[in-house]
Amino acid sequence: MSYDLKLKEMNDSKKQNIDEVVLMKGNEAIAHAAVRCGCDGYFGYPITPQSEIMETLMELEPWNTTGMVVLQVESETSSINMVYGAAGCGKKSMTSSSSPGVSLMQEGISYIACGELPCLIVNVMRGGPGLGTIQPSQADYFQSVKGGGHGDYKLITLAPASVQEMADFTVLGFDLAFKYNTPALLLADGVIGQMMEKVVLPPFQPRLTDEEIAKRSPWATVGKPATRKPNIITTLSLEAEEMETINLRLQAKYREIEKNEVLFEEYDCEDAEYLVVAFGTSARVSQKAVEMARAEGIKAGLLRPITLYPFPTNAISNYADKVKGILTVEMSAGQMVEDVRLAVNGRVPVEFYGRLGGIVPSPDEVLNALKTKLV
Amino acid sequence: MTTAEIINPANLVYEKPKLLNDTPMHYCPGCSHGVVHKLIAEIIGEMDMQEKTIAIAPVGCAVFAYKYIDVDWQQAAHGRAPAVATAVKRLMPDRLVFTYQGDGDLAAIGTAETIHACNRGENIAIIFINNGIYGMTGGQMAPTTLDGMKSSTCPNGRNVELNGNPLDITKLLAQLDGTCYVTRQSVHNIANTRKTKKAIQKAFENSMAGKGTSVVEVVSTCNSGWKMTPEASNDWMVANMFPKYPLGDLKNE
Repeated sequence: MSYDLKLKEMNDSKKQNIDEVVLMKGNEAIAHAAVRCGCDGYFGYPITPQSEIMETLMELEPWNTTGMVVLQVESETSSINMVYGAAGCGKKSMTSSSSPGVSLMQEGISYIACGELPCLIVNVMRGGPGLGTIQPSQADYFQSVKGGGHGDYKLITLAPASVQEMADFTVLGFDLAFKYNTPALLLADGVIGQMMEKVVLPPFQPRLTDEEIAKRSPWATVGKPATRKPNIITTLSLEAEEMETINLRLQAKYREIEKNEVLFEEYDCEDAEYLVVAFGTSARVSQKAVEMARAEGIKAGLLRPITLYPFPTNAISNYADKVKGILTVEMSAGQMVEDVRLAVNGRVPVEFYGRLGGIVPSPDEVLNALKTKLV
Repeated sequence: MTTAEIINPANLVYEKPKLLNDTPMHYCPGCSHGVVHKLIAEIIGEMDMQEKTIAIAPVGCAVFAYKYIDVDWQQAAHGRAPAVATAVKRLMPDRLVFTYQGDGDLAAIGTAETIHACNRGENIAIIFINNGIYGMTGGQMAPTTLDGMKSSTCPNGRNVELNGNPLDITKLLAQLDGTCYVTRQSVHNIANTRKTKKAIQKAFENSMAGKGTSVVEVVSTCNSGWKMTPEASNDWMVANMFPKYPLGDLKNE
């Protein structure tokens, strides 16, 4: 579905709450959206720059209203395994962290993907490697879309570029996770997490009842009635043939996701001679750079991947036949640019501009890179 | 006596627990796991809790526990069972939630999850099989391996200077405010097996009553890993394991 249609669908569902325009941080928007979309459980460990997510939840005290459980635990290792346990019961559960904490979660994420459990993981990225910095970064792209943990699996990866999208994609991430019984990742950066913008929060949805969960997720471990076989959530198959069958099922699911769920946004692309590809904060900066280029008579456009997995390969491939060159802008040493190059397959030059370690590029820098590398 | 007379319910003095599946167990003959599995199946049946039970299996020999006891199961990552159980119980407080873990799982890789679940006082039961060795991977040194005890990664016996001290984690868990019942049992003879059954039942009742975390350690044999006959293993356990891991209640509130 095109992003415009998806956005329209979302906006229509929000009309009833249009008077609820509020000003808040991206991290706070995630917390509010989680409560409103009927999330059953949040498990987390504090880390900058996303601690406001758990702090906001603790202030909201949703256990007194919707019954949602919010628990601060001993590590990200524990929080992701709590998500595994909750998701295994068919519950809508989530965790959030930032880069070093998400590295610690990779074991659990691999288990969740193999167990085919739906959940939402939020990564508000900061500069790495190592303990790195608390400033914003996009250097976890590879970790997010190429695996991260062990084995052949994929995460549906949504990249918000505004506080509104932090709220919207919390809802969308859960929807996609439950549509495919697979973990979804909301991949933001420290700018989107920390900045304040106006936002229309999603409407309240009640949490599902036990009966509704049993109907939606008949595989869930909720206690075995005499009438059915036991439900078992496991990720172990000692027989290689059995494990290959599980892998093939996962791969078939990923092909479906790639076919149905690609989202991206285009800006000034119709007559573009030069295409900029960027996501999240880099896309916000690049949009300004495109406007500045247009003012100088350079026909530039911006393609913003919203789903990083599934990646908008076809859309980018189509532009390779229309434009003279592509510039990929990232707050990393150049990670997504590899997927852009795969989509373009050598037909036009694909250049890269990035800042590392927590630095956000300026529109001037991006415009300059566009001019010196391509125009 | 004909077969029909023998299986007359009036003459029945013992039967397989209804919740114990017919799947042949993969455990080595003489291993304690089978006995403890049977006790758990028996207790859940007697408590009429099948429909309310969610069990959490570990990584280790008991990873396949879900094949043998007829309830809903989740198999956790290595050491993470108490974290998984925490979420299950918090989200479904009226369910019976227990973990079944070995000493490598609970006392090495899962130490943090174990201590924090117990310290929070999660209303779960932890069944802890301590055989002093990594069984599934082929008999390597465990955190609980005794001083001087041989394993494939301490072939000349555990050397405290080199390998550190054996860990009595149950004693540690008894110190935590969140635990309500911490006990150490064994299943090497009928009297002790009966005591273990009572202990597990009490642990299950505690968790349903919301009293906090219950820990039942079962000091066990691993005759394959120990490279002994089942009978010699039992004798060796009594002579060597019990002095370091003495049986009895460590906490009963």
